[in-house]
Amino acid sequence: MSPTVPTTAPRATRAVSAAPSARAAAGRRRYGAPMVLLAPFFVLFTAATLVPIGYAVYLSLFAEHRSGLGFGGGETVFTGLGNYTRALGDAAFRGGFLNLAQYCLLYIPLMMCLALGLALLLDSALVRARRFFQLALFLPHAVPGTIAALVWVYLYTPGISPVIGALNSVGTRADLLGHPLPAVVNMAVWEWTGYNLVIFFAALQAIPREVLEAARVDGAGPLRTALSIKVPLIRSSLAVVGLFTVIGSLQLFTEPMILHGTTPSVVSTWSPNMYAYTAAFERHDYGLAAASSVLLALAAAALSFVVTRATRTRSGRTRPHTETGAAV
Amino acid sequence: MSAAPSRSRRALRAAAALTAAALSATLLAACGSDDDNPPAGAGKAVDITFWGWAKGTKEVVAAFNASHKDVHVGYEEIPSGAAGGYAKLSNAVKAGNAPDVFNVEYPQLPDFVSQGAVQDISKYVGADLKAKYLPQAVQLTTLGGATYALPLDAAPQVFYYRKDLFAKAGIKTAPKTWDEFRTAAGKLRKAQPGARIATFFPDDPTTFEAMAWQAGAQWFGTAGDSWQVSLDGPETTKVADYWQKMIDDDLVRVEPSFSQQWTASLQKGQTAGYLGASWGGGVLKGTLPKDQAGKWAVAPMPSWNGDAASGMLGGSTFAVSKDSKKAKAAVEFATWATTTPEGIEARISAGDSSVYPADPELVPVAAKAFKADFYGGQDVYGVYRSGARSIGQKWTWGPAMGVTNTSLKDSFGRLSSGSGTIAQALGTAQKDTVSELKNRGLKVSAR
Repeated sequence: MSPTVPTTAPRATRAVSAAPSARAAAGRRRYGAPMVLLAPFFVLFTAATLVPIGYAVYLSLFAEHRSGLGFGGGETVFTGLGNYTRALGDAAFRGGFLNLAQYCLLYIPLMMCLALGLALLLDSALVRARRFFQLALFLPHAVPGTIAALVWVYLYTPGISPVIGALNSVGTRADLLGHPLPAVVNMAVWEWTGYNLVIFFAALQAIPREVLEAARVDGAGPLRTALSIKVPLIRSSLAVVGLFTVIGSLQLFTEPMILHGTTPSVVSTWSPNMYAYTAAFERHDYGLAAASSVLLALAAAALSFVVTRATRTRSGRTRPHTETGAAV
Repeated sequence: MSAAPSRSRRALRAAAALTAAALSATLLAACGSDDDNPPAGAGKAVDITFWGWAKGTKEVVAAFNASHKDVHVGYEEIPSGAAGGYAKLSNAVKAGNAPDVFNVEYPQLPDFVSQGAVQDISKYVGADLKAKYLPQAVQLTTLGGATYALPLDAAPQVFYYRKDLFAKAGIKTAPKTWDEFRTAAGKLRKAQPGARIATFFPDDPTTFEAMAWQAGAQWFGTAGDSWQVSLDGPETTKVADYWQKMIDDDLVRVEPSFSQQWTASLQKGQTAGYLGASWGGGVLKGTLPKDQAGKWAVAPMPSWNGDAASGMLGGSTFAVSKDSKKAKAAVEFATWATTTPEGIEARISAGDSSVYPADPELVPVAAKAFKADFYGGQDVYGVYRSGARSIGQKWTWGPAMGVTNTSLKDSFGRLSSGSGTIAQALGTAQKDTVSELKNRGLKVSAR
């Protein structure tokens, strides 16, 4: 191999310098296929993501102003950051973030623990009919969110819900429609636990069996193996699920919106996304809606940065020992 | 080895941040813009598009198309205004693909006009056409001196009740005053502890607004080129205190309108009455099981002094969208649908509509077409007629009812949990409305 290198390299250089078109052709060969394959993504990404974001930012800088009684039509005026200060100054918008924070604090740990616990159980030797449980637990996620929310609303509604009826008949007063937070958290847990369980379970299955055997040889029981071996080894899966869950939580819309249609105790501005929706379609204030959407997007970006940062430093230390991290 | 994961993680972080940003921003911008106007009708028949949701509309359009060669209407049924129809409409207007003509209820008309979604159709609406409609309906569709819509119905508020349940509770006649209404509510609950006389709808402020209207309140007015807003005047306060006491004393239910809960309690006979409007007669008939047929009756609204008085609850109009180039054809269709016997007959014969026409000449037509067996053959339209005549004439809707009603709805939502009162809700809505008007650049003056 080595003697051929000096002879071919100069020749190649000469050939390239002699014919620039050949270099271009080589470049086309090298970049052409990836470009063609990537183009559809970038076209769609631009049309469906970048342009709308740009348009939303543009909209957020303008407001409609009318004169007289307001029936003569209005004019669009530039207000700079006026819509942003208006959104931030609105107690309803800030209240939406408060609801969201409470939701995250309740939902994320609950769902993660449940999904992890169930995944560890499925991975343990204790479980019979593993395939069945895997499918059964995943099934709720296959139900579209809107339909799931409607079904839950039915189960929450006193007078028609068999569950509330049964609780009432044994003397327990349950009023989930009056308490939106647990009602929404319950829907989300039901919908997402199975999905994340599958991710955790896949990561657990990828743990090398010899590591587990070594643990058993060292005298670790099933519980000790689960907590000290398995969980640390799938830490990167936990981090990714945590990240996606945080981002997903900020988008909270469908469940509270459906509840809003049934119980006015879920106000029209319950979550920041609902605030944007109400501003656009009930108050007809597109500038305010755009500004609040942009603020929410910035909050989501900031939060996901923090989450990735936090999980990186933590999982970075254990990384040399893991081999499963690469799977994610 | 160590560089690769960190680079991919940085990429992941960037992608995550971008995705998050994208997801929230696309929600809003999904209503993109598409700005070509349809070419003006080249062929013989002008094709117009129409969005609505009122019962029987499909049949009206079919009858119109069958009898007209010059105009052809393409109808698309949309969700009712409050259930998302208005959101869809304002979206379409913003995107430039609104229908030529659409239904909008009286309270929302000024809001749509103020958004610039509706065009001035004064030049197509002559004095003789205007003279056909009930003056209250004309007043509500005339804004700043220009005509913006044609009224379909006048929707007087009336009281629907279960005759059998009332008789069982020893209530001989329907309550004529609000005092009698309260007494009847008490009797009904005593006779059957699970039963209530009616429902306060926290999700639908228009019912409350109709009762404030009946009491003589005037929430909005104009003086020169400035608005006057008074959601907390003495008449409104009287109505608010009355209903607050009814709720506090557990004499009425607090449940969303047309919700599963509400329908279930009507079906089980646990709710014995419904403070609805003329159009509610058909809706009730369509919602409740057949075995309740003949058990219901209609009575005029109870009033404060026993004299006939009513507010208007809902009621639809036909408006032409701002960018429509076919306003003339659209007005022709709207005129036909609102002022001809064929138009009204087609709507009511469809079965579930009990519309009370804004053109009084058509009331006999409507009364004849409506099958009143659900109300034991009662002269339902007779009750509607006296209700319509007694609609207060001073009322105007404000230019930001979207904001006013959203604010009321959000506060009314707290009533059932006992936090907040109707009076507080009105105070908040007053504040929200005034600040919204100022924000839009409108002048607001004290009354």
